[in-house]
Amino acid sequence: MFETVFEFFFKYRPIVFGEGTLAFRPTVATFVAAIAVVVIGVVTLRTYQRVRANTRPVDRTVLMVVRLAILAVLLLCLFRPVLVLSQVVAQQNFLGVLIDDSRSMDIADRDGATRADFVTEQFGGEESPLLTALADRFAIRLFSFSSATNRITSVDDLTFDGTRTHLAQALTRAHEELAGVPLSGLVVVSDGADNAGLELSEALVPLEAAGVPVFTVGLGRESYSRDIQLSRVDTPRTVLKGAALVVDVLVTHNGYAGETVSVQVEDEGRIVADQAVTLPGDGEPATVRVRFTAADAGARLFSFRIAPRPDEMVTQNNERNSLVVVEDTREKILYFEGEPRWELKFIGRAVADDENLQVARLQRTAENKFMRLGVEDAEDLVGGFPRTREELFKYRAIILGSIEANFFTPDQLRMIADFVGDRGGSLLMLGGQRSFAEGGYAGTPVAEVLPVVMGATAGEGEDGFFIETGVRPTRAGATHPATQIADTEEASGARWLELPPITLVNRISDVKPGATTLLESADGSLVVLAFQRYGAGKVLAFPVQDSWMWQMHADIAVDDQTHETLWRRLLRWMVDGVPDQVIADLPTDHVELDEPLALRAEVDDANYEEINSSQVSAWITDPDDEITEVSMEWTADRDGEYASSFVPRKEGLYEVRMEATTDGELLGSDTAFVRVAPSDAEYYDSTMQAPLLERVAEETGGRFYTPDTVDSLVDDIQTVGGGVTVVEERDLWDMPIFLFLFLTLILGEWGYRRSRGLA
Amino acid sequence: MVRRWTAALGLAALLAGGAAAAVAERSDGPPVSGPATFDGRFVFARIRYADGYAGGGFFGRQDLPWSHDYPRAEQNLMRILDEVTLIDPYLGADGGTILTLDDPNLFKYPFAYMSEPGYWTLSEAEEEGLRNYLLKGGFLIFDDFHGDDHWYNLETRMKQVLPDLNWLPLDASMPVYHSFFDINSLDYPRQYEETPIFFGLFENNDPNGRLIVVANHNNDIGESWEFSMTGWVPIDISNESFKFGVNYIMYAMTH
Repeated sequence: MFETVFEFFFKYRPIVFGEGTLAFRPTVATFVAAIAVVVIGVVTLRTYQRVRANTRPVDRTVLMVVRLAILAVLLLCLFRPVLVLSQVVAQQNFLGVLIDDSRSMDIADRDGATRADFVTEQFGGEESPLLTALADRFAIRLFSFSSATNRITSVDDLTFDGTRTHLAQALTRAHEELAGVPLSGLVVVSDGADNAGLELSEALVPLEAAGVPVFTVGLGRESYSRDIQLSRVDTPRTVLKGAALVVDVLVTHNGYAGETVSVQVEDEGRIVADQAVTLPGDGEPATVRVRFTAADAGARLFSFRIAPRPDEMVTQNNERNSLVVVEDTREKILYFEGEPRWELKFIGRAVADDENLQVARLQRTAENKFMRLGVEDAEDLVGGFPRTREELFKYRAIILGSIEANFFTPDQLRMIADFVGDRGGSLLMLGGQRSFAEGGYAGTPVAEVLPVVMGATAGEGEDGFFIETGVRPTRAGATHPATQIADTEEASGARWLELPPITLVNRISDVKPGATTLLESADGSLVVLAFQRYGAGKVLAFPVQDSWMWQMHADIAVDDQTHETLWRRLLRWMVDGVPDQVIADLPTDHVELDEPLALRAEVDDANYEEINSSQVSAWITDPDDEITEVSMEWTADRDGEYASSFVPRKEGLYEVRMEATTDGELLGSDTAFVRVAPSDAEYYDSTMQAPLLERVAEETGGRFYTPDTVDSLVDDIQTVGGGVTVVEERDLWDMPIFLFLFLTLILGEWGYRRSRGLA
Repeated sequence: MVRRWTAALGLAALLAGGAAAAVAERSDGPPVSGPATFDGRFVFARIRYADGYAGGGFFGRQDLPWSHDYPRAEQNLMRILDEVTLIDPYLGADGGTILTLDDPNLFKYPFAYMSEPGYWTLSEAEEEGLRNYLLKGGFLIFDDFHGDDHWYNLETRMKQVLPDLNWLPLDASMPVYHSFFDINSLDYPRQYEETPIFFGLFENNDPNGRLIVVANHNNDIGESWEFSMTGWVPIDISNESFKFGVNYIMYAMTH
């Protein structure tokens, strides 16, 4: 609208003025005429100064200014203003036209027509208006782009089945290909739904530097009227077999506010979860928490989906797949209890049937007398609590029961802190007469890592702190996986409130900054369970001395599993994500065929110190069980980091096992999986991304168009584009704005005279 | 009741009777004992069952078989426990608490002791209480009984409680006899005419699994705890009896 009005008054569109420079081309006659105008002006001035009859000074001033303005407009026109432009010479320049060939172009969001239909209409052949108009002035080079960028001879070569949109790569490739020819610019025809994750600036800077403007044509709607999308699914990459997964699914939608839909999770053909959600207002995201159990070991492909609605515009974005490696390993946990008490027995019983947790219990029964339970072999813990890092760091989690700090040597206390900070293990301190402040931990390295602020201990002759209290989950605890003691969030929250009271002998009221309280006393004054991340690991404080009450109490039914569920989930959450000496790290769980897969390994020695001199290999097993060995090299960017890459040539599931050795001795190995399959990424956030396309145009000196404004594309390229150009002057004296001003001033003078009753 | 140590018999019975009288005097209803409130410490729980005639009795008082050796047996055992282990037991004058099998408070004390199960009677509520107690994780010692009649009564009652479990003989190699002291032989000195023998009930009848009930058949270990301070029981026997007691408790707290 603005452009149309501007062009009406100023003869040319704003872009022409933007590109040109203003100049005057007066002739001798112009100066004669100018002198005449000046004389007239002077006469006018003097006349108005002399005339006094029936006029006020203000009238004379207004009329004098209007008359002089009329003369000024005339004078401006007489000096013949021109716009000096550099115009692209027809048929001497090239123009790259890059057409999006990805799947999202097949979305029918243009009144029933697809985005690809526009391409066919405008570039489909000799009759196509845009292509014809462009071809009249430029030598056209067509490119298709999606995952890759290719030269094409006509749009018939487009298939619209590309699974990615690599806009940055396409711009770079086209620019490189047209580097040796006079190039007027690049035209990008796309929905702009770039999903390559590459930095666009790196592609734009060379274009800007070379003066190659990019003209972008955005296809599709900026928002759908009716669509549901699973925008994000956050699953862990690795879990223990039998783990209760709590997965947040982000659902966005338009047009279905208030409707209830169901998020289903499928584990390779079997529905494992079905969670209903009532959709909020249009455009508002809804986070749906879905719970299910990873029952089967191996690399499992979990599908999250919402059944498509009959009138949805895009149904392909209703599903997301997530590859989760369900490990059937036995994670070692060390539980050290300093005095015989019921906690040890009942925690041991709670996790006894969990095949993925091995809780080695070291029970001090008397001074310097220990009992070992659940140990791996006769030598395990035979010397009591580990005295070397290597021995301690074999475990993935430590539980400290009621054991005083003085029991440990200073080095052992430091080792426990390092177990969390350096090794990345988890530490849990239980309540008791010998724990926390009562155990003398204040000021020790262990106190540094604990998530709570220890309370004061009882003074000489005073009774120690003691309270019997119920427990309630905090807002964080209501949804945290470690404190889910029932199948649903509501049931879990209700169950916590039903549980019988427990007792505390450690007064802990505050957590450290950055720590999270999951459980608190019934009156909210005391911390019952809190955690924080410290270094690479997690630290929990559970100042309860008799959680066994949740198993034994008379109010608890014999077959009740609350106590078992709590301890299993708590311990599983503790060992979840605890690193091994060798970590196989793939940046993604999904690549496309022939897309390079980055391989990365992190390698530590037995003390969990990074090691750069290791021999690291990746053994890659393809879907046909063919094994390829890829050697990995230290990156030199980070200690202990090794990298390489691999290009998969088959679709299916690949196993990547990374193995590190030093001096012929195996440090460890780790296995990751990656799925090689076409991507559905094109259908997510597939509305037209106008801001991105506008940015590309703006930064390179081009313009952004939609199908409605694309008519001016050809003229604009001719004005703005680079390549072989000629200088052209365009007259401005005949701009309608001058006539309009002239007439407006004359009419204004006449109107003023009439209103004032002047001659 | 023929005892090996006849010299101790008279006074022991007198003391037992006195203890029972002391308990009986404290209230007309259920005896009150143990800590005023639960505070998380280990407490010896003696099981009280409906008073049946056990014979004997002094000064016209009815004998209370469940109370035999009370309270000095538990007092002494708790002192030993406090001395030799890091367990922090309740050390009140009554040595522990007295509870019926249908008392909800029993579940706060996962270790229990029953004397004279030969006279044990069982209501439906007690039957359910004991079943739940053992299945949840409780541990029970039967002591101070002998002969086939007593055994028959115990066996019958326990079949009511846990019909699927069978009594299995215990031997010295089992973990319960090495949980604190190493007890390498179960040749315990005779206190009755019959040879002392030890039986157990295991979870799922698996002798390698969790032991949940021990029966010291033809035995009266509690009496050795009780008279350990008097000199009427040879010190070796007292020592042995305490070893059994400490091991049972340590096992119960760790397995």
